[in-house]
Amino acid sequence: MLTLIGQLIVDGIAMGMVYVMLSAGIVFIMSVTGIFYLAYGQFYMIGAFLTWGAVVLFNLPFPAALALAVIATTILGLLSYLLLFQHTMASEEKFLATIVAAVALMMVLGQGGLVVFGASPRSLPDLFTGNISAFGITISVAKMVVVLIGIAVILLLFLFYTKTKTGRAMRAVSFLPETASLQGINTKAICLACVGIGTALAGFAGGIIAPGYGLVPEMGNNIILNVLLIAMLGGIDSVLGAVLGGLVVGLILSFGQYFFGARVQIILFITIGIIISIRPGGLLGRKELTL
Amino acid sequence: MGLSFPSDLEAYLDVKNLPSKQKAKGLANLKNILIVFIIFLLVPLVVKSPYYLTLLTTAGIGAVLAMTFILLLRTGLVNMAIAAFWGMGAYFSTIMSMKLDMSFWLCLPMSAILTGIIGLILGLILVRNPGFSFVIMTMVIAMVFVVAVGSTEELGGYSGMLRIPRPDPIHIPFLFTLKFKTNMASYYLMVVLVLLMVVLLSLLYASSIGRAWTVIGLNSQLAESLGINVFRYRLAAFFLAGTIAGLMGSFYVHYLGSVNPETFNLFKTVHVFIYAILGGIQFPFLGPIVGSLVMVFFPEFIRTTQELESIITGGVLLILIIFLPAGILSLPGLRTFASNPAQIFSKYAQAVRSPWSRERSSDK
Repeated sequence: MLTLIGQLIVDGIAMGMVYVMLSAGIVFIMSVTGIFYLAYGQFYMIGAFLTWGAVVLFNLPFPAALALAVIATTILGLLSYLLLFQHTMASEEKFLATIVAAVALMMVLGQGGLVVFGASPRSLPDLFTGNISAFGITISVAKMVVVLIGIAVILLLFLFYTKTKTGRAMRAVSFLPETASLQGINTKAICLACVGIGTALAGFAGGIIAPGYGLVPEMGNNIILNVLLIAMLGGIDSVLGAVLGGLVVGLILSFGQYFFGARVQIILFITIGIIISIRPGGLLGRKELTL
Repeated sequence: MGLSFPSDLEAYLDVKNLPSKQKAKGLANLKNILIVFIIFLLVPLVVKSPYYLTLLTTAGIGAVLAMTFILLLRTGLVNMAIAAFWGMGAYFSTIMSMKLDMSFWLCLPMSAILTGIIGLILGLILVRNPGFSFVIMTMVIAMVFVVAVGSTEELGGYSGMLRIPRPDPIHIPFLFTLKFKTNMASYYLMVVLVLLMVVLLSLLYASSIGRAWTVIGLNSQLAESLGINVFRYRLAAFFLAGTIAGLMGSFYVHYLGSVNPETFNLFKTVHVFIYAILGGIQFPFLGPIVGSLVMVFFPEFIRTTQELESIITGGVLLILIIFLPAGILSLPGLRTFASNPAQIFSKYAQAVRSPWSRERSSDK
C-alpha cells in the first residue's frame, strides 16, 4: 500500500513538472507584462520538435540540442514581443487587441509547426533508457531527468525572481508599471526580458520532455488550457502559486487516474472551479488585477 | 477598462436630460440596419451555391455571438463562456427534440429560455466579482462545460450526437408550406433570427437600459453614484447574452444536424472575440458582421494554399491587429459609412433623384 502511494506520488510529480514549468513561465510573463499569452503552448511544441530535429536529423548530443532549441524559442519569443505585443499593448484597446494578437500568433506558430515538422508523432526513444528502482518504486530514467532538471530550473527562476535586483524590478513592474518606471526601471527592457525568459522556459520544458514522451504537433494546443487553469488556480500574479498549483494538479491527476479513471478530468475542473469561485484571485494571488 | 465610445459621449454627459436625442439616434441606427438586412435578404439571388450559403449561415451565427460579446463588453464584462452558453442552448435543443420529440419551433424559444435561466443563476455568482475574476471564472465555466458534456455518455460524449432533425415545416393556411430542407431555407431562417436579435438589441441600446449599460461600462463607480444599480443591469445583460447565445445554439444544431462538445470550447469563444474586435467594437452590429464575414470567407479565398491557409490567415490577422487595433471599420472612409449607411445611400440616391433623396437622416 505504501509503495502504491509512493509510486503514485512520484508519477504525479513527474507529470506535474511539465505543468509546473509551463505555468510558472506563463504566470511570469502575464504578471509582469500583462500579455494574455495564449500562444505560449506553441513555444513548448517548438522547443520539443527542435530538440527532436537536432538530435535525429543533425545528430547533436542531447544537451547541445536542448541549448539550440532554447535559444531558438527565446529568439522567437523576443521577436514576438518586439514586433507584435509591444504595439498591441501600447494601443488603445490593450487587452482585446493583445488577445487577438496572441491567438493569431498561436495559429501561425501552430500551423507552421505542423507544416515544418509534419503531422506524425515523433519520439526520442534511445536517449535515456532503463528504469530506476528504489523502495519498490519504479521510474524511468527519462522522467527522472525531467524531474531533477525541472526542479533545478524552477529553483533558479525562483532565486532570480526573489533575490536579484532584476527580479525585484520585475516584481515592481508587475505591481504598478508606471510607478516602476518613475523609479527608474526600464519597463520595456524588463518586459522584453520577461518574455524572453518565459518563452525560453517553455522551449526548455518542451526539450526536456522530448526523450520520455511522444511528440505531436497539437501538443501546444492541448496543453495551453490546462496551463492557464493551473495559473489561475495558483494566482495569476504569483509564480510560487503556479509552482504549487502545477504540483497539486499533477498529484491529483496521478491519484485520480488510478482510482477513478478518465473521469478525473471533470472532477479536477469542477474542484478548481469551486476553489476559484471562493477565492477569485487564486490560492496565492496577491491582488485583483485590473484590465 | 479604458474603453471609449465617443459617439455615446453625449449620452454620458446628458444621461438624464435628453432621452429623445438618444431615441432618435437609436431609430436612425435601426434604419441603417434594415438597409444592411435588405442587402442580406437579396444575397441568395446572387449567390446560388449551397456551400457559400452554408458559410454565410455560419458567419451569421458567429456575428450574433459576437454581438452578445459586445453587449457584455459595453457593461464592462469580458465573457469567456460565450461558446459554452451557445453549447448549452445546442444541447438543450438536441435533448428536447430528440428525446422529448418536441417540435423545433418549441425547442427554439425553450432552449433560449433555459440557457437564459442558467445564465441568470451563474450570473448571480459571477457578476458579483466583475473584472479579472469574472474573466477567469467564465473561462473555468467554458472548460468545465466541454469536459462535463464530453464525459456524459447520455449526451453522446466526445463523439457527439447525429441525425438531429431539421426544423419542422410551417403550414401557412391557404398559402404554402415552408419547408426547411435546403440551405437557402436555412439561410433565410438565419437572416430572420439575426434580424430579430439585432432589432431587439438595437431597441434596448436606444432605451434607458442601453444608456445605463453605456454609463456602467464607461465608469461604473460614477454610474453607481448616479443611482444606477450596476449589479442588476450587468446581470440583465448577462441573462440576455445567455438567452441569445442559447437561441443561436438551438438554431445551429438543427441546421447542422449534429452536435459535438469540442465545437463549444474556449477557442471558439476567442474566435467570436476576433469577429467582434476585427470588425471594430465601436460598432455593435456592423462590427461583428464585418468581422465574421472576413474571418469566414478569407480562408475560403485562400483555400488553394491548403496547409498554409492557417498561417496566412493568422499572418493577415496579425498585420490587421497591429495596424488597425480598433478594427477594420475604424478606417476613415469606412467609419462614416458604418455610422450612417442610410445617409450615404441617400446621397447616391440624390444623384438619380429617387424618393429617398427627400429624407434627411439625423446626424451621427
